[in-house]
Amino acid sequence: MPNKVTIWKVRNSNPLRKSYLNNNIKPNEFDALIKVTVEMSRYLYPYMREILKSKEVFDENSVIWSDFKMRFTELINERFNKDSMRVKKLLNQTENDEIIIRSLLTLSLCISNKGYQKMKKFLYDF
Amino acid sequence: MQNKLSFHQSSASLEIIGLPDYSNNENKDQISIISQWKLTIVDKPLIEGKIEHLGPIMDAFYIYSNLLIKNETPTYESKLIDIKADNLHTHNIFLKSSKPNVNPLNIKIGNTSLSDTINCFDQLNESSKVRIKNTVVSNYIPKKRSFGLINKVNFINFIMPPFIAIFSLILCSSIFIYFYNPLEDKEKNELINPK
Repeated sequence: MPNKVTIWKVRNSNPLRKSYLNNNIKPNEFDALIKVTVEMSRYLYPYMREILKSKEVFDENSVIWSDFKMRFTELINERFNKDSMRVKKLLNQTENDEIIIRSLLTLSLCISNKGYQKMKKFLYDF
Repeated sequence: MQNKLSFHQSSASLEIIGLPDYSNNENKDQISIISQWKLTIVDKPLIEGKIEHLGPIMDAFYIYSNLLIKNETPTYESKLIDIKADNLHTHNIFLKSSKPNVNPLNIKIGNTSLSDTINCFDQLNESSKVRIKNTVVSNYIPKKRSFGLINKVNFINFIMPPFIAIFSLILCSSIFIYFYNPLEDKEKNELINPK
């Protein structure tokens, strides 16, 4: 990934996005995206931990959890294609708790030095 | 004098106690012969054991977390440890003692403690100072599948057109065999050239 623009371009290979570009993502670009994700999750681990903890302890009435969920929904609304069934599932207030928790847990488990390989394995098994 | 190494991650910490293998010319701060290990999770009872218990417990945590993420029924059962999910946030761990007449120890942990514990195990696996037989689960990476998945469409696109062409050619030729009668053709030739 030589610069941020390349990351932006590769990021648009996600078919759930509004600005989806139908270009086949190359294996090395896919690996690079995983590495960026793992590095970010390592950096954000304390925050992700707090969000998971807030849901564990307070269940429904947590400010941290509701703030995070609100921002998550906002971003999905803003950037993803809302006509897609999978995006509708992400936006469904009653169902998306489980998806968010699972995603945060997956990222939390991949913060080690070999987290990149772990994340790759999780994605292929998905 | 035994060596002691600790791995910390937020609410969990793992302590490894053991000796270096001097027969392999190892450094004196290395641990190759593990005599004891202790896993501490904040507000939970201490978990400790011998080397033969560490591998199965690490495997149990890795397998359970994989099941949890893959949206399958998260249940792991073995002779030493059972892990079951109460709900999406709480996980029940039953540690069974190898000694007779000792009740299993039940510990309930949340997602955060589970990820902290697994991160401690990851640190142990990656540590150059501790030699431990790597667990099968943590090291399994499907290398062959990785490129197969990405190149699958291209390969099919490449192979399908000639395959369809050859198949249709064989099909057409085999149909014409039924219409062609070599005896009739011979008789016709004889009628044209009566010799």
